[in-house]
Amino acid sequence: MFAEENGLHGDPRIKAISDAIRVVPHFPKPGIMFQDITTLLLDLKAFRYAVDIFVDRYRDKQISVVAGVEARGFIFGPPIALAIGAKFVPLRKPRKLPGEVISEAYVLEYGTDCLEMHVGAVQPGESVLIVDDLVATGGTLSAAIRLLERAGAEVVECACVIGLPLVKGNWRLNGVPLYVLVEPRLDDLECTL
Amino acid sequence: MLKISLGFHKCIRHLPSGNSEISLKLLTSFTPPVKQPTGALCFYPSSAAARTVKRFSNMAASNSDHNQGYTVAKDDRISRISSSIRVIPDFPKPGIIFQDITTMLLDPVAFRDTIDLFVERYKEKNISVVAGVEARGFIFGPPIALAIGAKFVPMRKPNKLPGAVISEEYSLEYGTDIMEMHVGAVQAGERTLVIDDLIATGGTLVAAIKLLERVGANVVECACVIELPDLKGRDRLGGKPLFVLVSST
Repeated sequence: MFAEENGLHGDPRIKAISDAIRVVPHFPKPGIMFQDITTLLLDLKAFRYAVDIFVDRYRDKQISVVAGVEARGFIFGPPIALAIGAKFVPLRKPRKLPGEVISEAYVLEYGTDCLEMHVGAVQPGESVLIVDDLVATGGTLSAAIRLLERAGAEVVECACVIGLPLVKGNWRLNGVPLYVLVEPRLDDLECTL
Repeated sequence: MLKISLGFHKCIRHLPSGNSEISLKLLTSFTPPVKQPTGALCFYPSSAAARTVKRFSNMAASNSDHNQGYTVAKDDRISRISSSIRVIPDFPKPGIIFQDITTMLLDPVAFRDTIDLFVERYKEKNISVVAGVEARGFIFGPPIALAIGAKFVPMRKPNKLPGAVISEEYSLEYGTDIMEMHVGAVQAGERTLVIDDLIATGGTLVAAIKLLERVGANVVECACVIELPDLKGRDRLGGKPLFVLVSST
């Protein structure tokens, strides 16, 4: 669900967040309008707003784990985890995590990729929030959900700064609700950089 | 001659014997931390006034011993942080002892304390940019940036940042790698911190410093959770000071 349709209707922070995101056309390849959150990170207020909105939503939900998807999920996940007193668990590309890991493959447009999590990072029954900067096809987040469910955790929600419903009106991914602050922009609104 | 890290005022007193006594005072004021520091090396003074940190003679002093004392944190919270870091032998290859900070991230108190120690040091220092090195620098940099009111600037592997970037090549043990930063992210004269989880040889941090200096930023300090002092990365930072929480030999 979009934040604006879920309690934050008319909240000026949503527009501030959206305006702070830079759209870079044709990156990484022609036709893709890349939603660049690095300009959000340069906007002190807007970055703070994004974290605050997530923290306010998840603070009282007994979430004990925030799992962030490498690499931009590492930027948004830890501030949320710290504020709500949860563990932070990085979900990484292959061969980055030392020691014992579980791996989950997922499909890309061309080929496959793999997401890994440490064995023992998450206990069965823990309530987990997954965080990434953006949800597109949902492939990465689906892999993340599968990893956490294989460890016996319950994924409460997936939270992203930017996203769209996966198929019209469908805000669930493998049964897990998606919470998104802003939708992708297609224009080239003047931005910081 | 002793090398003194930035942030201290060096007072030299010439003694009648002909030796010199050197004392160092922390000049900046901090809001008092919750826990009082213990031990002779008082890195987090409890009062806002300047306070003598340590005295030593320059007679038989060795630079490295005294240097390290000032830029490795001393605080009651350090032992919990240090114990929370997992050591994994032979990763990523035989002979390397890997310092795994993910276990510290699983201890909310240790993770919170880690961030607090950096924030206490850097708030009210007019730092406007925290630059974090991909990927583990992305975990520590943003919470620090948010707490001290600075921008967060990711320093990334090649081809990840969209739009105009500047690139810096740096050496690895075998071969080279490239680090990139967005054009326009940092303005000339901005006071900047560079953050990563660990400093080994210092190659990555040097690349980050170079990128920032190429756009005219003022790199005030490099900060890492862990230092591997035997690899002497500290000495390779072009004179930039280094602050770490844990030193691992």
